[in-house]
Amino acid sequence: MHDNMEIPVGPQHPALKEPASFRLSLSGEKIMQASVRLGYNHRGIEKACEERTYIQDLYLIERICGICSHAHSTAFAQAVEEIAGVNLPKRAAYIRTLVGELERIHSHLLWLGVAGHEIGFDTLLMYTWADREIVMDILANVTGNRVNYGINSLGGVRRDISPEQVRQIAKAMDALEERTKYYIELASVETTLINRLSGVGVMSKKDVLRLGTVGPTARASGVARDVRKDDPYAAYAEINFNVVTDNHNDIYGRTIVRLGELMESFNIIRQVIKNLPDGPIAVKVARKIPSGEAVSRYEAPRGEDLHYVKANGTESPERVKVRAPTLANIQSVAFMLEDRYLADMPIVVAAIDPCFSCTDRSIAIKDAEGKGKKKKIVDWESLRLHGIEWYSKQGIDFTALNKRFKR
Amino acid sequence: MLKALFNILIFPGFLFLIIFGLAAEFYDRKIYARFQNRVGPPWFQPFADFVKLVAKENIIPEQADAYVFKLVPVFALTSVVTAFFYIPLWKTGALYSFNGDMIVVLYLLTIPTVALFLAGWYSCSVYSTLGAMRSLTQLFAYEIPLLTSILASALLANTWSLSKITVFYSLHPGLWAFNLLGFIISVVTLMGKLEKGPFDIPEAETEIVAGSLTEYSGKLLALFRLTIDIEMIVGASLLAAVFLPFGLTLHPAIGFILFLLKVLLIVSIISLFRTVLARLRIDQMVNFCWKYIAPLAFLQVLINLIVKWTLVR
Amino acid sequence: MNEEEKIQQELLKNFAFLENKIKIQRVRRIFIEVPLEKFFAVFDYAVKNLGVSMLSALSGLDEGENFSFIYHLALANGIMLNFKTGVAKNAPLLKTVTGYFPSAEIYERELADLLGVEVIGLKKGKRYPLPDNWPEGQYPLRKGWKKEALNKQEDKKNA
Repeated sequence: MHDNMEIPVGPQHPALKEPASFRLSLSGEKIMQASVRLGYNHRGIEKACEERTYIQDLYLIERICGICSHAHSTAFAQAVEEIAGVNLPKRAAYIRTLVGELERIHSHLLWLGVAGHEIGFDTLLMYTWADREIVMDILANVTGNRVNYGINSLGGVRRDISPEQVRQIAKAMDALEERTKYYIELASVETTLINRLSGVGVMSKKDVLRLGTVGPTARASGVARDVRKDDPYAAYAEINFNVVTDNHNDIYGRTIVRLGELMESFNIIRQVIKNLPDGPIAVKVARKIPSGEAVSRYEAPRGEDLHYVKANGTESPERVKVRAPTLANIQSVAFMLEDRYLADMPIVVAAIDPCFSCTDRSIAIKDAEGKGKKKKIVDWESLRLHGIEWYSKQGIDFTALNKRFKR
Repeated sequence: MLKALFNILIFPGFLFLIIFGLAAEFYDRKIYARFQNRVGPPWFQPFADFVKLVAKENIIPEQADAYVFKLVPVFALTSVVTAFFYIPLWKTGALYSFNGDMIVVLYLLTIPTVALFLAGWYSCSVYSTLGAMRSLTQLFAYEIPLLTSILASALLANTWSLSKITVFYSLHPGLWAFNLLGFIISVVTLMGKLEKGPFDIPEAETEIVAGSLTEYSGKLLALFRLTIDIEMIVGASLLAAVFLPFGLTLHPAIGFILFLLKVLLIVSIISLFRTVLARLRIDQMVNFCWKYIAPLAFLQVLINLIVKWTLVR
Repeated sequence: MNEEEKIQQELLKNFAFLENKIKIQRVRRIFIEVPLEKFFAVFDYAVKNLGVSMLSALSGLDEGENFSFIYHLALANGIMLNFKTGVAKNAPLLKTVTGYFPSAEIYERELADLLGVEVIGLKKGKRYPLPDNWPEGQYPLRKGWKKEALNKQEDKKNA
């Protein structure tokens, strides 16, 4: 058997839903060394923000990530509102909180399914993603979109919610709570699940503090780090909720924390719809934002999301800096992978709930020359031509079909 | 001669096995989907997949050994089909039999795993190599308990021939009930052999893409997939003959329906386990087999020895 | 006296030159400007004595003649200290803080890639976030940088 075989996981790999590259040095099934390369999703959004107006940026920033889009857009809006000196209407703050928590529910259910898939437990994936549809329907109903809700505007929110929607939300919460209780029970009795998650990806409280991880990854190691409590924004200061922590220090703990947070989210949403204040949902914000700077923090489903905005008195920001939670967490992954089994790699990576799209924010340079003359990277068009040629050699000709379906 | 050719190529040989194998794959996928609240594929999906793969281009990696790469799927397919002729299906006695055919069948059923190992090893890709190593590691974990539990049943029947095992249990109805533990063990180990359920470690998608078969495509992949489907039928038939040997002396039509039901029952059990369990790690799998399954298999041998001394004389 | 003012007083007591450099922008937000030569003394003191729980982020800004860097430090009680320092653009050198916060590595690589700041003491490793074949001397977050600069280089290569 090879000593120290090097295995590439990514940039394209079935375990990764987004491109990132992990190089694992293996001895048998054990990972001796792991290195991470990111940046495949860098799209230059920070630079693009400087060239657009604040209101355009709000929608651009929402597209940093498809899962925690509300987190980014709220964090950005908060920073701009702080610089502009706008007082957010109470009703708007509550609606932002509501959408934020709905987003957390859908994100955590999504995570649970992905985690199931990574450990070869596809039934869990099918179950949780079916249940996730409940909250997706609510999000579509409340905001008009399943992803990239576009609910925020500078100075408030764009849509109000009706008493009918409040009733639907309440009903959905009851249904989801029942399902979540079932998953909590499942997590406590299902042996193969516990065996695959316990003692994997261990990070002690000390390591969490040293490496600066955030979100459920930190909370599962007993670090009660939650921006909603520490640095309340939107309506969280007026809402009664617990920060869920756990002392398992491993992926099992992170599962418990996320399940517990689901229960807390139902609780928060119930308080929000019960105490929803009356009043306007938005105030006007001038197009030109005065000079100034602000730091805004938001507890995204994956952890603390930080935006720094600097304004220069024009319609466009001077600088926008986004630090997504995955960037804070990714550095702990290499640490957690070392001396573990290869089989644990997908779940260890998945356990921080990575969102590389959030993290990298490029301009790609195409290099079709490859290394040396002999091994050429085949480009898309020649690959397609090869396909047509190969099939016509087999006596299958698509040209007639292509003509028939040509519009 | 003509009859033998018909038996080998059409019924119950090659053609029957292809159709039954693909139908069983459909059944497995459908109930797996229904267990997961999904709709599942239409009945012709495995057939369509097969036809589609056969129409596709074979791509053989530059570094791979092209000869071995092309040969192993054929090798694997022929060995599982050969094994099928020595298994009694719906009557006592198989198409062909001789004293010691049980060992030959078990040996022939090991070949697909070895073929998977060779396929992975000679593909020369990191994922395939890892998959190949895992296939082999897994083989050493499940093969002994599988062999032991089948041996236990043969011990009671006092023969090395599968056909004579069925004859013995038809003469002593009810004795098969003592082999229940062995049946459970062999179903679990069969899942390891078929790389299904919690034991799909050698082809764990999220870790090593498709394991040994990562580099395979086109007709060769179609052959491998067909082999795995037929292996499932042959494995289930073997367990049905050894552990569920009832209804074999009835009318052949009833016996045939019973045979189909027995095979589908075993496939259902496998699908159920696949639904409710997460994939184990290779170390956990080896541990599980040696700590629990192997001792239980030896317990079965002990039970059968006691039964033999007390009940059967 | 609230928590924010206490921190302000404590910093002023130890570093008198910070007079008028500490701004409490709002509750839980403190901005502190420190010149580079004294920066690490203040930073060191803050990390060791003010209950810093983590380095949340490191922002780099292009301000014409200078680069500015803001170290966003989160305290356990929710207060965020924003230490700002600057360096002249023609000699963009910065000392690493990975000794205090290992997680700063990736933030500092980002500065190196996007702004072209040389971070002293940063161990060798893969770059982030730009691709490996990104041309030398192209720093997208600098104010004057336009993406056309890349195309020109491409054209030169192809010609």
